[in-house]
Amino acid sequence: MKSLILWAGGIIGGIFLAVIFLMSSGLVSPQMIQLVPGYMPMQVLIELTACVGVFALLSYLLAQNGLAIPKFWQGTLFWVFLLLYLKFRIYPPIPYSVRALYLAVSAVAVFMWVSSNEEDWKQFKQPILNVLDAMTPFHKALRTFYLIAIPALLWGFSYQSFLPSLEEPIELRTVHPAPPATTKVHGRTFVLQTAQNPYRVDLEGKYDQGFTDDLIVEQGMGRLMKPDANPWDPDAKGYLKHVREGGEVFFQNCHFCHGDNLNGRGLHAFAFNPIPANFTDSGTIAQLQETFLFWRVSKGGIGLPRESFPWASTMPRWEEHLTTDEIWKVILFEYWHTGFYPRTWD
Amino acid sequence: MGGQTRKKLMAIMALSAMIGLLMFPILVSIPALAAGGGAPAAGGPPPDVLAEQEGDAVEEGQKVEMGRDVYYKTEGIVSGLPAPKTEDDLRSYPRYNFESRVLLWFANQQHLYYGSFVLAVPIFCMIIEFVGIMSKDKAMSKKYDQLAYDFIKISITAYSITAILGGILIFTFLTLYPAFFGYLSSIFRPVMHIYALLFVAESGTIYIYYYGWDKMKEGLLKWIHLSMSVVLNVIGTTLMMLANSWIGFMMSPAGVDEQGRYLGNIWHVLHTALWNPLNVHRLLGNMAFGGGVVAAYAAYRFLSAKNDEERAHYDWMGYVAMAIGVMFLIPLPFAGYWLMREVYAYRQQMGITLMGGLLAWLFIIQATMIGILFLSSNYYLWQALGRMRGAEKYQRYIKYLVFILVVGFLVFITPHTIVMTPTELKAMGGQQHPVLGAYGVMSAKNGGINVIITTTVLSFIWYMRGNKVPIVPWAKFGDIFMGCFFGLAYLNIIWLAIYGYYIPANVRVGLSVPQVVTTLSCLFFMTALNLTMLKGAKMSGPIEWGKISVRSQYALIMLATAFTWMMGLMGYIRSSVRLFWHVNEIMRDNSPWAYTHTTGFAANMISFNVLFFWFTILFVFWLGTLGVKKVPVEAPAPVPGRVPQPAVGH
Repeated sequence: MKSLILWAGGIIGGIFLAVIFLMSSGLVSPQMIQLVPGYMPMQVLIELTACVGVFALLSYLLAQNGLAIPKFWQGTLFWVFLLLYLKFRIYPPIPYSVRALYLAVSAVAVFMWVSSNEEDWKQFKQPILNVLDAMTPFHKALRTFYLIAIPALLWGFSYQSFLPSLEEPIELRTVHPAPPATTKVHGRTFVLQTAQNPYRVDLEGKYDQGFTDDLIVEQGMGRLMKPDANPWDPDAKGYLKHVREGGEVFFQNCHFCHGDNLNGRGLHAFAFNPIPANFTDSGTIAQLQETFLFWRVSKGGIGLPRESFPWASTMPRWEEHLTTDEIWKVILFEYWHTGFYPRTWD
Repeated sequence: MGGQTRKKLMAIMALSAMIGLLMFPILVSIPALAAGGGAPAAGGPPPDVLAEQEGDAVEEGQKVEMGRDVYYKTEGIVSGLPAPKTEDDLRSYPRYNFESRVLLWFANQQHLYYGSFVLAVPIFCMIIEFVGIMSKDKAMSKKYDQLAYDFIKISITAYSITAILGGILIFTFLTLYPAFFGYLSSIFRPVMHIYALLFVAESGTIYIYYYGWDKMKEGLLKWIHLSMSVVLNVIGTTLMMLANSWIGFMMSPAGVDEQGRYLGNIWHVLHTALWNPLNVHRLLGNMAFGGGVVAAYAAYRFLSAKNDEERAHYDWMGYVAMAIGVMFLIPLPFAGYWLMREVYAYRQQMGITLMGGLLAWLFIIQATMIGILFLSSNYYLWQALGRMRGAEKYQRYIKYLVFILVVGFLVFITPHTIVMTPTELKAMGGQQHPVLGAYGVMSAKNGGINVIITTTVLSFIWYMRGNKVPIVPWAKFGDIFMGCFFGLAYLNIIWLAIYGYYIPANVRVGLSVPQVVTTLSCLFFMTALNLTMLKGAKMSGPIEWGKISVRSQYALIMLATAFTWMMGLMGYIRSSVRLFWHVNEIMRDNSPWAYTHTTGFAANMISFNVLFFWFTILFVFWLGTLGVKKVPVEAPAPVPGRVPQPAVGH
């Protein structure tokens, strides 16, 4: 019975692995099993964990039936699988620098696994030693092949790297530069550490982060408004009314670039490089104080500090077009709509 | 009253007398401090005199100038001159024909490496000597005692080098940054004097401790000897805290007004926003670093050992040092997290510069180094299973631990600011990646590091069980409970990491507490449970000291190198976050080098410092081997049932 369950698991796992492999190698569409935006980070981890489980199960079943895969090939093939997975499975593609980082760590992991005990380490080394010792004609031929192929490969890499490249050089961009301690907008100085959004208020008009946090749009698929918290209700008061006013400012001025879903994919977005910030990503406004946004919106790309090289932002200096109140309200709207909470320090 | 109790009482009395004598000069200086520190800036009169003058002034109808503390926001009498406004000239910045900052960087870093080492090693000695005294097994007791002695012997030479490097550092400050150092010493004058006095006390104690080792090896004298190590460590830790107050002041000044004028309250100057987190972080860091260095020493001796006896001894020494180092490494990320939290709370822009802006990539390198430390420690423990018969049952599951560790590690090192070509940027469809973006922020990283640490605890528990089979009647239940506890711990950590994306930032920051508590629960409860289960356990074979793979010793060397490199890196990050300030927002750096180095230059400089330290410490190690009996103290061949036990006492 146990064996039957294991085999059934092995077959199902094998099919799953084959699908993942086909998607990873580009032979079938990588979207066959969709990675769902918003859930991708966990989906990737779960998928990888499942793959490791299946690999272990298949390896066990094969070993039980006298078809054990040598350690060397287990390690090498697993690393190649990861390489393909990272390159083709995850979409949008992961930049090379991060992939290289991941694969280097994966190589270390494979080494740690295959050398975790003497017996495995001996098994892993054996094919390499066989080629180096060249005791059989096959190994001798292989050694000769490597003797030619490895220098040739290195020559090829060197040649490639010396070829002139037409690609634009890498620009190390600081996405969130450190803001100044204070900023002066419309003649008034704001201390960024302590200033607060004057429209983040409860029904009595008092600053109340908790009250407003309870009324934001729910995160997740669909982004639902909370019951009785519709800013477009003509009777909406206080915070919700300010959100609506902020929304009006947003759709009159900002959505052309930042998009009507605030994901940085507006009408004009792709005219810029990089495209405008995606506010729905957990790495943007969710990580920042409202005052940071106030400073960035007021001063625009031209007001970025020196460390923000190469100043790749075309955002206008909105203080020249909006009032202070309008800037605060549009920030209020951005947090409301994305369902994120501004960073606070209490 | 029993003889033992009387001996202990006598030891306490003798110790108290010694503390009194050593602390006498400091106690004498306290009244001066109580009067306001007597530390006016740039040669003005001390506050007590100033108070008298103030009285006179009031009588004469003059107004006493009051200042507002930049941090504490309290009013105080201005007791010093403003911070000097420097110019890019030879008066403020005398120089050779190259960057003065690099010279200072080198002197500072080397002093810090040695300082950390000589502060950490006596703490080790204290622990090991205590374990030796408490050990009922005479042979083991002697072995521990010899080990502690070996440690302090290395530390004595390093102590002299630390003092020499301290002198070089002060001369470098005085000759290349006279204006800045003048200002700093005018603020910290009484603290610097106490520092010097403590240094005298530290020297006196360490020499008595070292040279008195053989004379004080029995009975009451042994307890006094051990107590001296406590005194030594109290003084050493205080020294470190005073030195930390200077860098704390440079990063987050307090006790002065906006112009940098001293306001007469030395406690405010000491107790800055970042002082306590720095103290905790540095103390733990020093211990972990010290453990790493001693473990590397043992690994070096293991690899060059001529016979099995030596190999067995240095294998054991490496294990003990590594265990102590890792014991302090485990809470280190939490202390670091607290420090960063305080940095953000002190100045948002400082926190963003560190972790999201200019220095963010250095933080990714730091995360990588932290990961390497944990990977090396785990790898060492897995290799150590190889010297126990019966540990094979655990070895086959190591691959799963590797997977969990590496997944935690990959999340932990994912950068927030990604290096990419414009083509890649276009292909990604914007600056934010839907997977990497989520891994690149703190919520995921907290989950990552906690998974790594919990796995390290699990590896350690496996190691403790390697050659033992629990025979308590509830062993099966205990195993199931332990398995469930770890499983739920992983689930809780991962769940909290995910939940962190759905709640306000201030609550999210607080989530680190339950995550840490989960991890520490695994450490304390599961270790305790494991020890209870292993009481009277059946041995499946002895620990065969010396029969460990050479790869394990390279892992120890890797561990030590990673520690050294990381210390250099973090020191650089902490220092460069002030950007163009000598003292943040008080005294501007107007030298031509008030810019942030490129990541490449900084990495090269750190590597140079690391190499220099290791070359010189090898010299110290070599000195330690001169005049030593060739064969280490009796390392009896392991006998099943009476095997040498490592310091952690399993």
